[in-house]
Amino acid sequence: MVTRLAPDARSLIATAEREARTTRSPYVEAEHLLLAMSAAPSTDAGQVLASVGLNHEAVEQALELEFEASLAAAGVTVRGDGPVRAGPGPTRRLRLSASFKAALERSVAASSGSRQIRPAHLLLGVLGAQAGTVPRALRLAGVDQAELATLTRQALAG
Amino acid sequence: MAALEIDATAGPADGLAAVVALRRLADLMEDSEVERAMRAGWSWPQVAEALSVTRQAVHKKHAQRLIAAGVDLRRR
Repeated sequence: MVTRLAPDARSLIATAEREARTTRSPYVEAEHLLLAMSAAPSTDAGQVLASVGLNHEAVEQALELEFEASLAAAGVTVRGDGPVRAGPGPTRRLRLSASFKAALERSVAASSGSRQIRPAHLLLGVLGAQAGTVPRALRLAGVDQAELATLTRQALAG
Repeated sequence: MAALEIDATAGPADGLAAVVALRRLADLMEDSEVERAMRAGWSWPQVAEALSVTRQAVHKKHAQRLIAAGVDLRRR
């Protein structure tokens, strides 16, 4: 599988790990891959995201909103500049979460028939999630997940 | 306790998302509160006891990060 990753797709996975580190997450999650793609406007995935207004800042905001909304459901409020934003995260290699692995598996399935796994295949993998942080964040950003997947398939076909 | 109950109008998706968000909040808080305690001169056994975990566990999880953050951890 690894050898079939296109160079820009491989680089997105490395960026996802950096995004996880920056957000102090002990795992690389599917949303970190989404953040990585939104910061790569030169890739097919980044272009699709940009076409619906999802640049890096917009994805960051959507994820922050999702975090706050989900905490609010439990009656918890966090101040934006609260003490939870401390120094640098762990320096060790981060583990991959179930959401990240599931997204990768769907990307592999979506790329069957293609020579390589392209960034847009990774985006399709991320967009295949039925529940969890990414679908909720997209909804809060006012983005139709199914429509975004259609746009991604069109980008791959075109 | 009322403030800690899941909003009755929220469905299971919101409840489960709240669990994920609370775990993340707990992780973030643990990092910053352990750092705060160690900067304030607490020892590893004290922090471990306060968190109800072993000294080895708290050391393994935080020592490298705190050293990288410039916290002086000698004689703790």
